[in-house]
Amino acid sequence: MKMLKLLLLFVILGLGVVTTVMYSGIVDVAADEPHSDFVYWILEETRENSIKKAAENIEVPDLDVPDLLLTGGSDYEFMCSSCHLAPGQTESDMSLGLYPAPPNLTIAAESHKGHEHGDGAQNDRKNFWVIKHGIKASGMPAWGKTHDDQRIWAMVAFIKRLPTLTPEQYQVLTAVD
Amino acid sequence: MKTALLKKASKVALVLIPTITLSMAATAHDPSMHVKKAEKADCSKMDHSKMDMTDPVAIAMMKKCMKQAEKSNDKMDHSKMSKEMDHSKMKKMTDKNEKKDDHDEH
Ligand code: HEC
Repeated sequence: MKMLKLLLLFVILGLGVVTTVMYSGIVDVAADEPHSDFVYWILEETRENSIKKAAENIEVPDLDVPDLLLTGGSDYEFMCSSCHLAPGQTESDMSLGLYPAPPNLTIAAESHKGHEHGDGAQNDRKNFWVIKHGIKASGMPAWGKTHDDQRIWAMVAFIKRLPTLTPEQYQVLTAVD
Repeated sequence: MKTALLKKASKVALVLIPTITLSMAATAHDPSMHVKKAEKADCSKMDHSKMDMTDPVAIAMMKKCMKQAEKSNDKMDHSKMSKEMDHSKMKKMTDKNEKKDDHDEH
């Protein structure tokens, strides 16, 4: 009985803290004010594990197909490069202003700060899921609402090769025809 | 009563529809939307000798450039052009401003 009372006290206390935090306005939601390391870690772990789990059963098709690079390339240039950049570019209004910041997809995945990365197929799977469903409360939109899986796989194929592309190769692949 | 309401509704519609339509045209032409112009592929810098033709990137680039070349040939048929466009028979192109005073024969 004593145990139960104590538990109840904790629950009420917890709710009290949450309510105070919510209604006092002390949480800073400004995008130019980074999270504390602790909050960042919580959010990042939550996101990484959520994506990993949600994507685990997705089957990856053959992505070494030239036509995929062409559709994926022009889609990337028009829909993604403003945030995720193009070869030869190091920043944009979006890449600087958004928080969480959009990762620079023109550099190899291993060098993204703080992101955990598995093998190739695992990456493709996760990228597909992220492009299709987006990421809540970040700037990353869900493109699956307006694009079919084939278009999304094409973008996955393209961003897989993106870190290896020179600005000239990028220009040819992404130009409209 | 009903007709009065209907009249009022159609008047409102008469004002709103053009307003909304026009203001949409204005937003569609916001200059910031034109910052990115559709560019053609710049195929001139491609060095075929250095390209690995088993690489999907190289194949994709070739495809893009071949398609683009075909398209520009469709639009401009050079074989016909040389026959019909004889520059020697064309009048010398003159600046419009030069002719300003030639108003005698109207
Ligand atoms: C408005 C900006 C914006 C646009 C446009 C955008 N993204 Fe993102 N994207 C983000 C942000 C921000 C994140 C990081 C979210 C996070 O860390 O929680 C992200 C994350 C990603 C990731 C996960 C990367 C990783 O290694 O974790 C992929 C893949 C991705 N985007 C692909 C795309 C593609 C493909 C497009 C175009 C169809 C696109 N994005 C368009 C903002 C954008």
